[in-house]
Amino acid sequence: MIPPRPTVPPLAAFTLPPRRVEALPGGARATLIEAGTLPVALIRLSIRTGSADVPADSIWLDRFIHDYLREGTQQRDALEFASALAAIGGRLEVDADEHTTTLGVDVLAEHAPAAVALLTELARGPRFPEEPAERLLTDLRRTLDLAKGQPGWLSHATFRRALYGDQPYGRVIPEPSRFDSFTAQRAAEFWAATTGTRRTHLLLAGRFDAEGVLEAARTGLDGWHAGEAAPGLAVQAHSERTIHLVDRPGAEQSTMQIGIPVIDPTHPDYVALEVTNSLLGGAFSSRITMNIREDKGYTYSPRSSVSTRPGDAYWVETADVTTNVTGPSLHEIFGEIDRLRGEAPSEEELAGVRNYVAGSFVMRQSSPSALLDHLEFLDLHGLDVSYSESYLARVQAVTPEDVRRLAVEQLRPEAMTIALVGDRAQIEEQIAPYGPIKA
Amino acid sequence: MTASTSPFALQVPVVRERLANGLRVVLSPDRSAPVVCVAVYYHVGMRLEPQGRTGFAHLFEHLMFQGSPSMEKMELVRLVQQNGGTLNGSTRYDYTNYFEVMPSNALELALWMEADRMRGPVITTAELDNQRDVVKNEIRVNVLNRPYGSFPWIDMQERVYSNWHNSHNGYGDMEDLDAASLEDVQAFFDTYYSPANAVLIVVGDLEPEHALGLARKYFEDIPAAPAPPPADIGEPRQEEERRFSRTDPLASRPALAVSYHLPERGTPEFYAMGLLHQLLAAGDDSLLHQELVQHRGYVGEVDASLNFLGHMHNAQTPLLWTTVVVHDDDVTADQIVDAMEGVIAPLRETPVDAESLERARTKARASLLRTASDSNYPRFGLTDLLGAFELFEGDASRVNDIDARFAAVTPELVMATAREYLRPTNRNVLMLEAGAAS
Repeated sequence: MIPPRPTVPPLAAFTLPPRRVEALPGGARATLIEAGTLPVALIRLSIRTGSADVPADSIWLDRFIHDYLREGTQQRDALEFASALAAIGGRLEVDADEHTTTLGVDVLAEHAPAAVALLTELARGPRFPEEPAERLLTDLRRTLDLAKGQPGWLSHATFRRALYGDQPYGRVIPEPSRFDSFTAQRAAEFWAATTGTRRTHLLLAGRFDAEGVLEAARTGLDGWHAGEAAPGLAVQAHSERTIHLVDRPGAEQSTMQIGIPVIDPTHPDYVALEVTNSLLGGAFSSRITMNIREDKGYTYSPRSSVSTRPGDAYWVETADVTTNVTGPSLHEIFGEIDRLRGEAPSEEELAGVRNYVAGSFVMRQSSPSALLDHLEFLDLHGLDVSYSESYLARVQAVTPEDVRRLAVEQLRPEAMTIALVGDRAQIEEQIAPYGPIKA
Repeated sequence: MTASTSPFALQVPVVRERLANGLRVVLSPDRSAPVVCVAVYYHVGMRLEPQGRTGFAHLFEHLMFQGSPSMEKMELVRLVQQNGGTLNGSTRYDYTNYFEVMPSNALELALWMEADRMRGPVITTAELDNQRDVVKNEIRVNVLNRPYGSFPWIDMQERVYSNWHNSHNGYGDMEDLDAASLEDVQAFFDTYYSPANAVLIVVGDLEPEHALGLARKYFEDIPAAPAPPPADIGEPRQEEERRFSRTDPLASRPALAVSYHLPERGTPEFYAMGLLHQLLAAGDDSLLHQELVQHRGYVGEVDASLNFLGHMHNAQTPLLWTTVVVHDDDVTADQIVDAMEGVIAPLRETPVDAESLERARTKARASLLRTASDSNYPRFGLTDLLGAFELFEGDASRVNDIDARFAAVTPELVMATAREYLRPTNRNVLMLEAGAAS
């Protein structure tokens, strides 16, 4: 027989890994965190420009530019730049969202200063040669075609459109005929107008020579234009109980997003909302997942999350369910939301969820890349280190009544937007009871 | 060691022990953060599932979360998460793993849970039926309800391998999943889930003597059982090029996959092939990216791998080196195959230059470090490498030799490896035709 189950001693007091913050030329900043034991440095040059800065008639101009960033710098052509990075163990990753474009590279620890030099060279002087423009546009059209075949992307785009309309966060699907207006010159002008030292934050985590890195950053950024400060953006999200249906004849599953605007990370209740989300649908052992996966078998990977932008956020449950149980899945999901709104969770259930959220935070603070994600999150929402320092205490302070109250205030089923990609002929009748259908 | 091994290569402490019942224990301390990964690797994956029961190894993995002698359905998941941890399991060609990443105060609990799981699943028909539905939905979301879902991993292996262990669809046919019974579950457990067919790996914030003591406490009295019978997973040498095509009704653009059989794991040629992969297809500086993307503009990106379900270090051979591209109608598969051959042929004729080879080594070194520091689950990346080397090469500490194995590859060996393994007659071309209007 196995010995009895051991008890778990309390989590030791957790200390955040120290962050070293330094000023760089022109108002740029650097944040350095030494972490881990493997000899790798994770480096991100985070620049405050993103899809929200693109004109309404030029959706994906930002993606066109990201592809263009692989075509070299004023000092090196595409192959020379890629080879220089490869020789130190790196490859360029361009990652972007509505407000941030990140030039990232992971390199062997010994080469961190050289990598910083290459990233700053790229940020201040992409080459934007004329010659590959047509090829990049062909690639962009293909990328769009491939995206449109993915039900998950379609349901996301439909949900965004419903929530934000023609405001920047709602502009997910481009009109390919507009790609013809994308040129090398437009790419260069947009990049010059929306970047600069004032919008730049260098982030490092892992193992590296900090002095060498800072020296390379100072040299690399010295003399680059400061640029305009990033403009603010006020967005009005709108949600009503409507099913936005995209017909996908023959689909074996219905791909859904169900959600509603909620408080953003600067709100005092935001951490309690994260705990509420984990209990309801965010964790594997959460209520919705236990119900529609582990009890009913309707789906493989249901999940809820809180998606955030500055001053804006929404809660969303995402699931791919077998076509013939599309209606029953909606029934169960709304049933779980209603149950939480009607009755506070037990202290026992909530204590487990608090520990899960707290432990997840500790683990993210132990991973170099998750550490950098956290720094970018703080930046985006204008939060400082006190957010991280007080996080665990705020998680542990969440009460059952807080959870019920947040579910009542924030997760209002009567105003939830539903985006559904599925076989209309098979699901229309099933879903009709859950809201007016708009195709 | 030759001059090009680096002090910045992967070098980790490894403590190994075998318990009385045959269970191997591998420990690697990393005290830099209060996190620990506990994993058990069983030496059975998709390749060894029974004929007529495709997809069973994966279904079985799901069932191992459904209940055990001391835990009800989902109790394990809840216990992990209530203690701040996260968990997963996965089924690969040659192994099935189960792991928890926990704050290190929960190390002993995690060991208890995995020891309990090793004592066997306790499940009902209702739980089997439930997970059958979940697995079918996993197949729908990852394969059936999306374009390119089985391309190329299932499509290619079904066509190029002659040995059933390698060729069958490891995600499973729906009829085979429907046929799976509780008797199958017990038989599979009895055959493959013995301590002697498993490795326990613990990586992170631990003290080896203490962790070993806990491993003994919870695992050592699990009864020993005979090792499973050996299986022949070998493939014959391919002598002629093969071409295949299929139509994907959901795809809007044609795609092409080109596969070559790899050298045997652990041989000098295997490491030379790893460097050929770096030279040819890893990163924007690679020869195929330069040729197909930059020079000819045939495709937007080149995606290549040495293992459809991982990387060169975490599977046994046979494996395939595969390049995948999605292209437009105005470019033919022949044009792409010819352009690839134009880049590959010189590697068979001339030893690679020293600078290119050194860059390939550097990329391989960095790639290995990225694998080891995998971040979705802290400490899991290294855990997986240690598990693979213990299972497949009998010694987890060989992860520390990888850099030297790459360093020992000469330009002549690269050329010889290209001659034998990048022969046109060792090539398999799979064309996917787009069945959906764009």
